[in-house]
Amino acid sequence: MVETVQSWEVPIAREDDIVLVRRKARALAQERGFDAFAAAALTTAASELARNVWVHAGGGKAIIEELTDGYRTGIRMTFVDEGPGITDVERVLQGGFSTARSLGLGVSGTRRLVEEFDLQTAPGRGTRVVIVKWTRF
Amino acid sequence: MRTLRTRLGFDQRELQSRRAFFDIQDEDLARLAELRELALKHMDDINEEFYTHLLSHPETKRFFPDDATIRRVKRLQREYFLGLFEGRCDLEYVENRLRVGAAHEQIGMSPRWYIGAYRKYLSQLLDRFTNELPVGEGRIGYDSVLKLIMFDMSLAIDAYIAANLETLGRHQAAIRELSTPVIKVQDRILLLPLIGAIDSQRAQQVMETVLLRVIEEKAKVMIIDIAGVPVVDTKVADHLMKTTAAMRLVGAQTILTGISAQVARTIIQLGVDISAMPTLARLQDGIELALSMLGQQITKAST
Ligand SMILES: Nc1ncnc2c1ncn2[C@@H]1O[C@H](COP(=O)(O)OP(=O)(O)O)[C@@H](O)[C@H]1O
Ligand SMILES: [Mg+2]
Repeated sequence: MVETVQSWEVPIAREDDIVLVRRKARALAQERGFDAFAAAALTTAASELARNVWVHAGGGKAIIEELTDGYRTGIRMTFVDEGPGITDVERVLQGGFSTARSLGLGVSGTRRLVEEFDLQTAPGRGTRVVIVKWTRF
Repeated sequence: MRTLRTRLGFDQRELQSRRAFFDIQDEDLARLAELRELALKHMDDINEEFYTHLLSHPETKRFFPDDATIRRVKRLQREYFLGLFEGRCDLEYVENRLRVGAAHEQIGMSPRWYIGAYRKYLSQLLDRFTNELPVGEGRIGYDSVLKLIMFDMSLAIDAYIAANLETLGRHQAAIRELSTPVIKVQDRILLLPLIGAIDSQRAQQVMETVLLRVIEEKAKVMIIDIAGVPVVDTKVADHLMKTTAAMRLVGAQTILTGISAQVARTIIQLGVDISAMPTLARLQDGIELALSMLGQQITKAST
């Protein structure tokens, strides 16, 4: 059974907030014993998704949760916005597609950095991305 | 020059709502205009007392270093004082009051001191009004002047905060410039140690500074050390590649150093292809590579 131990909410209302989300993710990962690779992966994933909220949806929020399954510690990050949503989900998940003339590797790359990944979106209905990363044991 | 008012977005609507909140009615303004004569009569003694007060406290005294300053601010103070009794509270009035706050920020006088100074004014006016006006009139007149002075105070504080933020912004710009320290390693080799988060403004700035320096120094190799960058996400990687492409256009090659094992692995997992630039873990190796690249170029050129 997975339980939430603690949770934090960070609004993403300006570019600087991306740094705050990222720092919270990194600090938590380090405090809870994630190794350097896992911490870097989580921090980078947080950076990508927070930036997407800011750049593509004009703002939203991040919810950061500390989880436990009785053995390991997990960090779940949920990124929520009420922006335009994603029309071409398939292409975005595949990677290399961007509506902002950037690399288009944020979503597809993030998927490879975490253990669990869930994307819910629809045109005009906003976007919600949930990622989870666990300590090794 | 743009007015303070427009810079702060203070328009007719804001004026209406703030006047409503401070309860400044046309009757208040008319009443103050009627009190102008009394105000004129006491202007000089009120001002003298006011400055005696300011000069008797070291915290405020230091803002009046010499007689010339004192004369100048006394004149401004008279203008301020008479402004209260002109029977107006329009946008021009607002502009004038905002300047008070901006001027205080410039000389570094913080709101606590000039709020204390407003307090002194109010005491003095209360004193004159109760002594010289029939009881009811004095009280009503004082209430009107209280409204207007509080209104002035709100404007002065708005302007103070805005000016303060601008000062901060200028400092940030300066820091940003300082944090793009391009170092000349050797003739034709430049080094940029990047430290801290790369936001879009900073990315822009890095690109511009680096380009300028490369052209200025006629550099052939630009080493960018990212050991101090906390996260290399697709945005940072994209920025580095764009900088590399721009460097190539002005005839310089880019070497990326300071890439930790974690960062290398994360970049690969993200699927970013940074093979367009040589990457090395250690800065020293980067410098050696730069030297050898130059050596090769020199030999090539001489054959
Ligand atoms: N939160 C979001 N809201 C709306 N659209 C998004 C959001 N996140 C991603 N997208 C869309 O998915 C595309 C790919 O995103 P991503 O993989 O992060 O690459 P990039 O941000 O470089 O474009 C974006 O260009 C955008 O069209
Ligand atoms: Mg993105």
